[in-house]
Amino acid sequence: MTSVEETRRDVSQGSSGPLLSMEGIRKTFGPVVALDGVDLTVGRSEVHGLLGGNGAGKTTLMNVLYGLYRPDGGTVLLDGAPVDIRDPRDAISHGIGMVHQNFLQVDTYTVTENIVLGTSLPSWPAVDLKAPAARIAELSERFGLTVDPQARVADLSVGLRQRVEILKALYRGAKVLVLDEPTTNLTPQEVDSLFGSLRAIVDEGMSVVFITHKIRETMAVCDALTVMRDGKRVGTLRRADTSAAELATLMVGDDAAVTRVTEVVTAGMGAPEAARASGAPKQYLSGEARDLGDAPVRVSVRDLVVLGDHGVPAVHDVGFEVRRGEIVGIAGVAGNGQVELAESVSGVRGLHSGALDLDGEPLAGRPTAVWLESGVAYVPEDRHRDGILPSASIMENLVLGAQRSVRFRKGPLMDWKAARRHAEEAIRTYSVKASGPSAPAAALSGGNMQRVILARAFSHRPGFLILHNPTRGLDIPSTQFVYDRVREAAEEHSAVLLMSEDLDELTHLCDRILVLYSGRIVGERQRGHYDQYELGHLMAGLEDTA
Amino acid sequence: MTTTVTPPTTTPTATPRFGRGTGLPQTVLSYVIAVLLAFVVSGIVIAALGHSPVDAFRAILTTSFKSSFGLIETVHKWVPLALLALAFTIPLAAGKYNIGGEGQLLVGATASAAVGITLKDSPTVVLLPMVLLVGLLAGGVYAWIAAWLMDRFGVNEILSTVLLNFVSFGIVDYVASEVWSDPAAGHPTTVPIGDGGLLPLIGTPPMHTGVVLAVLVCVATVVVMRRTVPGYELRAVGTNPRAAQVHGVRIGRIAVGSLVVGGALAGFAGAIEVAGVHGKLIEGMQSNYLLLGIIIGLIARGNALAVPFVAFGIAVLEVGASAMQRTADVPSEMVLITEALILLFLLFSDVVGARLRRSSR
Repeated sequence: MTSVEETRRDVSQGSSGPLLSMEGIRKTFGPVVALDGVDLTVGRSEVHGLLGGNGAGKTTLMNVLYGLYRPDGGTVLLDGAPVDIRDPRDAISHGIGMVHQNFLQVDTYTVTENIVLGTSLPSWPAVDLKAPAARIAELSERFGLTVDPQARVADLSVGLRQRVEILKALYRGAKVLVLDEPTTNLTPQEVDSLFGSLRAIVDEGMSVVFITHKIRETMAVCDALTVMRDGKRVGTLRRADTSAAELATLMVGDDAAVTRVTEVVTAGMGAPEAARASGAPKQYLSGEARDLGDAPVRVSVRDLVVLGDHGVPAVHDVGFEVRRGEIVGIAGVAGNGQVELAESVSGVRGLHSGALDLDGEPLAGRPTAVWLESGVAYVPEDRHRDGILPSASIMENLVLGAQRSVRFRKGPLMDWKAARRHAEEAIRTYSVKASGPSAPAAALSGGNMQRVILARAFSHRPGFLILHNPTRGLDIPSTQFVYDRVREAAEEHSAVLLMSEDLDELTHLCDRILVLYSGRIVGERQRGHYDQYELGHLMAGLEDTA
Repeated sequence: MTTTVTPPTTTPTATPRFGRGTGLPQTVLSYVIAVLLAFVVSGIVIAALGHSPVDAFRAILTTSFKSSFGLIETVHKWVPLALLALAFTIPLAAGKYNIGGEGQLLVGATASAAVGITLKDSPTVVLLPMVLLVGLLAGGVYAWIAAWLMDRFGVNEILSTVLLNFVSFGIVDYVASEVWSDPAAGHPTTVPIGDGGLLPLIGTPPMHTGVVLAVLVCVATVVVMRRTVPGYELRAVGTNPRAAQVHGVRIGRIAVGSLVVGGALAGFAGAIEVAGVHGKLIEGMQSNYLLLGIIIGLIARGNALAVPFVAFGIAVLEVGASAMQRTADVPSEMVLITEALILLFLLFSDVVGARLRRSSR
């Protein structure tokens, strides 16, 4: 095991070449070429951004480095010497540490126990955790990763759990630390603190590979950047020599498409100039409140209490109203009752108490089918689990939820001809990349699956549209597509409730943002008064002082 | 980047895909291979037992078609096989396992016999529909017990349906040896039902009209599964119960409904056995229909359209089995081994096919 001190010595003695270089890495999954001869060079003491849309191959490349995938071709050089990494154990012994998006931690263990788990410790006559705990405390102080080594992991927030993961890698002597989309689910304050720690880490001579799809973050923390698209490296640049606009062009590739999608990549950057060129409606870009006039209230939720899966209330006394044509956002760190709230206001999960009226009609206590008929449309967070019938065709998937509607009925039988016509039209208008209405939904990519789900939601002409993390895992054009459709729905007087973990997305799209913490609404901000730090404060459960 | 081979420009969307999974030619091919392999392996076993595989297979495969008697026997055998296979596959489409087909068949048969005996003087117009309908309902109600336990208390339906089979054995034993016992039979058997309860026979050699009813049931099942809302919802629940629920399908109701319908079909099979074949309730009349029904349902991969055809193939093997025992002196149980091997090789071909597809790309 290499300690941090040895790493520093290595750095001072080592050659001046790059710390890590991956050359011509190729990886295929069946017919899909995930990585097509990708090169990556990470210098010493640098935060290297790995930027690209979803599906660009960033995580795959790092999984190859960490030994989770065997590449079909290419070489990995550490300190100029080729290394053969067969599994994560090899990777760790070569000083590569990786923090995944989903943390693998033992909830009931303490921070120290989690960190030492899997390392060799003298276990006779008893495991001595005092020395490791002291070392962890020292590491966490040195890198600004404050966490109590004796705390139980189950009691920690996402931000703290991430620190534990980083400490785990540092404790194992990482020279190269890979972070996969580390800012997901962090409040802006936590992001700032993470970036501070990353700087402290590289100042000690280690290097960080920072996987992200947000240009804003790369501009904030990275020294150098590699941009990937469709499994290929499209460019490596120094941050000082590039601009957000150039990065956006690289990420999206096609110059014609770039004007259409810049608003996605620049969302939250406070750079509306780029997006203005895209011709998106002005009111969304100015940051000013959109005038809804005296649009009537379409959805009214009162005193909502919803039970979680274990029978304990997960949503407490939530009440809000959504007007016609209004987009209301729900911000919050995942696990604060979002799933329960989304499922209850969409009629999937029963209300423990409280009421929901749509256009004055009370829906609480009615079966899900009645909610659907009344114009409630739900785009669930987990599209594989809640959204599609995998082995059924696109056509059958589009009918789901409307199977009893007269549109798809012919007497007592289903009118599959009408369903096929509907599917053909939906495939066209929603630009679903599929061979036809009979293609199985499971064969679709995430973006195309989401297009099918949106097509289904919109074909019900929704009066109340609920979207939960609708752009998670989507590539840039698909994300842009979702944004366009959400606005279109609002313009057609739907009431839209957008629940997202992405604050940029919320501040970009919503007329009003409610913050959910521990199942309660703890704050509300109007468009034009958004301050991400303030929202972050609320998301972290700190009192609303305003 | 000198070593990188130019990637074949595979656009996954451009490859033609068929409606569901693999194409028809591939499916047929895998069936043919599975059947051939099963016969090859069975032949080896038969030869190892010291008999002639050729004689044995000739007996198995030709008995049904050599004479009109053989064909009628096969068709009669086909009725309970097809119905019990449907009783298994309909709940299977919703992801539920009905392993209680024989219990439902026996209870249906018992109810039919009870009506046929108590009202034995009624005319055909009254008695026959009643015999059939009561059998159907009794099977459905019997399956509903398991369905209700599942829906209300979360009792696993595999467990409850299997255990209810044993209850049904007791019911048949009681009815056939205590209530309407026919002491002359020398085996627990009831007295015959009234003539008005018997299914009319047609043609020579006579075939009972229950065959026609079973064909109608098969056709209706396919139409319901493919063209109606309940069938669509049933398949939706089977593919992804969560997604179906999110979109307003009441999955509990669908699951209960599918089990009750399956039970009703098994009960109907029992009624046809009583009204068409035996004319009374006989202990042991369920034969090994449950097992064969499950094998048929699995070979048909739950496809309601394929079930009648697979059932016919199995009926041919079953009828040939006794002929094989007579002519080639091979134990008739050998056929069960062959049937099981067909299923095993079919499942095996899925694995092999998936591997081949992966490596060829």
